[in-house]
Amino acid sequence: MTPLLAIAFRNLLRAKRRTLLSGGPMVLGSGALVLGSGLSDGIARQLTDSLVAVQTGHLQVVARPLDFQPQNSPFDAYGLDRIPGATELARRIEREGKEHGVVRAVPFLYGRGTAIAGNRTSLASVIGIDPAREPELQRAQVVQEGTFLPPGDDTAVYIAAPMARKLRLSVGDSVSFVVQTPQGAVNSLDAIVCGVFRKGAPWHDNGFYVSLTAAQTLFDWPGDGTNVKVTLADGSASRARRLRPLLERIAAEGPAPDPKTTLRVETFEEAGRFSFSIIQANRTALAILSSFLFAAAAVGIVNALLMSVHERTREIGTIRALGMRQRSVVRLFVLEGFALGIVSAVVGVALGGAGVVYLGWRGIPMNTITLAWMAGGDHLYPILRATNVLSAGGAIALLSTLAALYPAHVASRLEPREALHHV
Amino acid sequence: MSSLVLLALLAAPPGADEILKRAQVAVLGETATYTLRMTVSRPGKSERVVEMKGWKKGDDLGLVRYTSPPKERGTAYLRNGGSTWLYLPAAEKVVRVGAKQNFGGGDFSNGDVFRLSLTKDYAATLAGEETVDGQACWKLELKARDRSVAYDRVVYWVRTDGTFFPVRADYYTLSGRRLKWLTSAEVGRIGGRQRPTLLTMESALETGARTLLKFLTIDDGVPLDDRLFTPSALEKGE
Repeated sequence: MTPLLAIAFRNLLRAKRRTLLSGGPMVLGSGALVLGSGLSDGIARQLTDSLVAVQTGHLQVVARPLDFQPQNSPFDAYGLDRIPGATELARRIEREGKEHGVVRAVPFLYGRGTAIAGNRTSLASVIGIDPAREPELQRAQVVQEGTFLPPGDDTAVYIAAPMARKLRLSVGDSVSFVVQTPQGAVNSLDAIVCGVFRKGAPWHDNGFYVSLTAAQTLFDWPGDGTNVKVTLADGSASRARRLRPLLERIAAEGPAPDPKTTLRVETFEEAGRFSFSIIQANRTALAILSSFLFAAAAVGIVNALLMSVHERTREIGTIRALGMRQRSVVRLFVLEGFALGIVSAVVGVALGGAGVVYLGWRGIPMNTITLAWMAGGDHLYPILRATNVLSAGGAIALLSTLAALYPAHVASRLEPREALHHV
Repeated sequence: MSSLVLLALLAAPPGADEILKRAQVAVLGETATYTLRMTVSRPGKSERVVEMKGWKKGDDLGLVRYTSPPKERGTAYLRNGGSTWLYLPAAEKVVRVGAKQNFGGGDFSNGDVFRLSLTKDYAATLAGEETVDGQACWKLELKARDRSVAYDRVVYWVRTDGTFFPVRADYYTLSGRRLKWLTSAEVGRIGGRQRPTLLTMESALETGARTLLKFLTIDDGVPLDDRLFTPSALEKGE
């Protein structure tokens, strides 16, 4: 440690109250930054994980109308049109994509209808899946009661807890679905509830998972589906983008879809625009909040150090009279700013980090519908990342150092003769 | 011998298609204006009563406007060919709706009210005679001609007493599940002739759900301009 840095730290200790007053906002600022980043990353992780596991995989093949316009809704990810031979297409993608990092390609069928149980009815999203090949979905839609959809059972249905409450259904109860097939006929399916999954993202509350075969029969689309969900070993967006041409080629070689639709290969970022718009909005809000925190902290530092210069005018005069150069005075005050920043950052990120770890363990209840939509679940679990801790701490230390430049400049301009006469 | 053949022919029931055709116009003629009251019943909920005025021309043109309650007055459904529109006066908007969506929140679908052209959409066979609600009826088995027709199978009972009044219809889904059934137990003189005046649709899946359509007035054979059945006319009101 240089002598000047040692003096800087000692000066901080000499004026404890001033240090506390100027360091306090920075402690709060760095803590809030860590906490805010943790919340933002928690939301991003929840939304992305749910999207990838439940809806899109890392890449999906989907039939879109030629004039398709996304509605910025979580249901945009689902296709509503037919992928002819979706089961065979998934097999080919898995076989030919294996050496390129494709872990799994599974078809599913999404459709809408009405669920009826006794004298209660509800709008229903009926989703036909191959339960044996949906481990990510099984992990995302956690069993609360009963079991996940048993493979090979075409009469079982796996439903969300809010829907079970609404229709007063428990494991073993029967529920009927009435849908209009894409061709126009009305069809129905009677199913038995095999399990209830815990509430997650609110847009899955109306989801009823049945076997793919049952859904294909219900919607009169044997062998077909609406989406093919592709899971990659490397789930990064860049990897997904690189693999897209291969999937496009495989899809183009399969049966042609309805002439009014086209088969598209979408990355999870493209298919889940709704989720990523929430993530982006959160990040923007955090950036705005951070800039206000930084501005407030900077003003505080400048103010505190200017006060310090004022209080220590005679002292500055003395050390200048003893031969300290102007440059060294600047360095001393800048180092004081730096020391204050470092101490505040360490305390702030420690407090913020502890808060994130605690809330990440407990979860924050998202009690209102708006909050649940924003967080993609009824609880939000913030996450602590080293990069967030380092960037928040570094930013506060840098800010403090830079904010000290002006007071340091003021201190260095003091004339020793006048300073010594200062009362 | 020849007179015996003639008697046998006279005694033979009409063909399934003929029965169906006659039953189709037993309630409303080819062209008609009418008023009706719809009552939607759901267990544990108060009844919803809506009155409306309707116009019908052939199988493909139909219009219904709500006349009460006041807050729903002006709401209108239009059927023209293969399309159905809903007009919501509060929003001043005409939106296209599906023919299979329920009509006014009840158990009838839009298609049931405006167009269920049994003769066009179904191949009919005479499956015998049965007594339903004390009435001797022909039992018709109707099978959808293709998979775009709403109900894959309909079992239809029509009175054999020469009135051709439909007594009951059971509607089935593609999977063979009975979805709902229609009964017309009440007959009265309205619009100058005897006809069924109360139609009741009950859900086979939703316990206790039923919807009643009570015809209050019917005027058959009134000439109607096709321009009445357009989305632009829908917005203008009566």
